[in-house]
Amino acid sequence: MSLTELADRVGVTIANLSILKTGKARAIRFSTLDALCRELDCQPGDLVEFEPGPPIDPGDDDEE
Amino acid sequence: MRALGPGSVSSFLKIILDVAQVALSIGLGVVTTLGLAALIFHFDPKIVFQDADFSPADAASARRIIAGGLLIGALYIAGVLVIVGRLRRIFSTLTAGDPFHPDNVRRLRTIGVVLAVLEIIRYPIMLITVWLAPEVMSKSGFGMNLTTWFAVLVVFVLAEVFREGARLRREAELTI
Repeated sequence: MSLTELADRVGVTIANLSILKTGKARAIRFSTLDALCRELDCQPGDLVEFEPGPPIDPGDDDEE
Repeated sequence: MRALGPGSVSSFLKIILDVAQVALSIGLGVVTTLGLAALIFHFDPKIVFQDADFSPADAASARRIIAGGLLIGALYIAGVLVIVGRLRRIFSTLTAGDPFHPDNVRRLRTIGVVLAVLEIIRYPIMLITVWLAPEVMSKSGFGMNLTTWFAVLVVFVLAEVFREGARLRREAELTI
């Protein structure tokens, strides 16, 4: 399945899918996760994993 | 009442800001020109101080006071023009549907700083005026304007609110 086709089926833009793929996303909606798991026939744990590192500062803003 | 579009509060405010921008720009040009003209050309200070009777030395010093007053007035108008300019830019982000743009935090802080600077430079100017022209000061009064300091506080608090808004906006953008 191509990225374009997956984006169409899940209902997100290719740009947002790319943000998800590159790990730049701050959060993922349950509805998006649900659609992704449904289309890819997998579990949430197959899509997200924890990488040890410094804690993310909630006030951290790249544009500041 | 609608938030945006024709007949809304924002369209009314936009008209006020546009008119203020034009009026202040014209005012700045006029006052600066008059101030520079007062510095360069000789004129009778009685056109300002009508009741006074000047010796030639007093007239020269009165001309310098008038020129200084006009140039300080121009500086004040320039400060207000900076504030109105920033407000217009903030407003343009609102009409574009993106009021929590990160640049608005910087714009609000600039407004707060300019308000504070305008108030701070008022004090030495008042002291100089008391020294040079006490009769002028006795009419306008001398004192700290608490309303201005309160406005500065409000603007800085709003800047922090907008900073949090900008962070939430960024987070919403990166929520897929």
